[in-house]
Amino acid sequence: MGARLITVSCDTHFTHLAWHTVEKQLKDVKFTMASDKTGELARTLGIYLEDAGLALRGTYVISPQGTLLFSEVNFLNVGRNVDELMRKFKAALYVAKKDEGIPPSWNEEGDLTLKPSAKMVGKVEEALANDGNPA
Amino acid sequence: MTETIQVGSAVPDFNLTTYEPSSGDFGEVSLADLKSSGKWTILFFYPADFTFV
Repeated sequence: MGARLITVSCDTHFTHLAWHTVEKQLKDVKFTMASDKTGELARTLGIYLEDAGLALRGTYVISPQGTLLFSEVNFLNVGRNVDELMRKFKAALYVAKKDEGIPPSWNEEGDLTLKPSAKMVGKVEEALANDGNPA
Repeated sequence: MTETIQVGSAVPDFNLTTYEPSSGDFGEVSLADLKSSGKWTILFFYPADFTFV
């Protein structure tokens, strides 16, 4: 989808190699594994735990222009849902192309979107029920 | 707490050393390179290797 997924932790690239080599669950995982050993990037993003020397489970979607369009931080022991991430990533891609609104029910391109206009004000329920057209 | 980056703002350039499972080699990745190749970037942070993700 024209995106580069990079996993990042505060381990070294040597540890990344060792983990990827040993852990059979990672056998088919081909994503770039980046090392933020000093925690500099995690600190910049506000997810570095100084006492532990670890980063929280942060997810960031950055546009080709370098703009942060989505961020989400989970606490240490809460895993992420990949479908949820993909929905938000697809939504970010879509609105980068078209100046439209993404309703909460949107899942992928082709689903109903809303075009902002004066007619839409106070008529979102009607528009959602009428193929995006405020009646 | 350091100042963080708000959604909608520019992410400052970064440069990280990487392990590339597809080639088995070490490498580098920078936001500047990703931007010049026209790609979207998804950063997926996790606490540590050898823990469950």
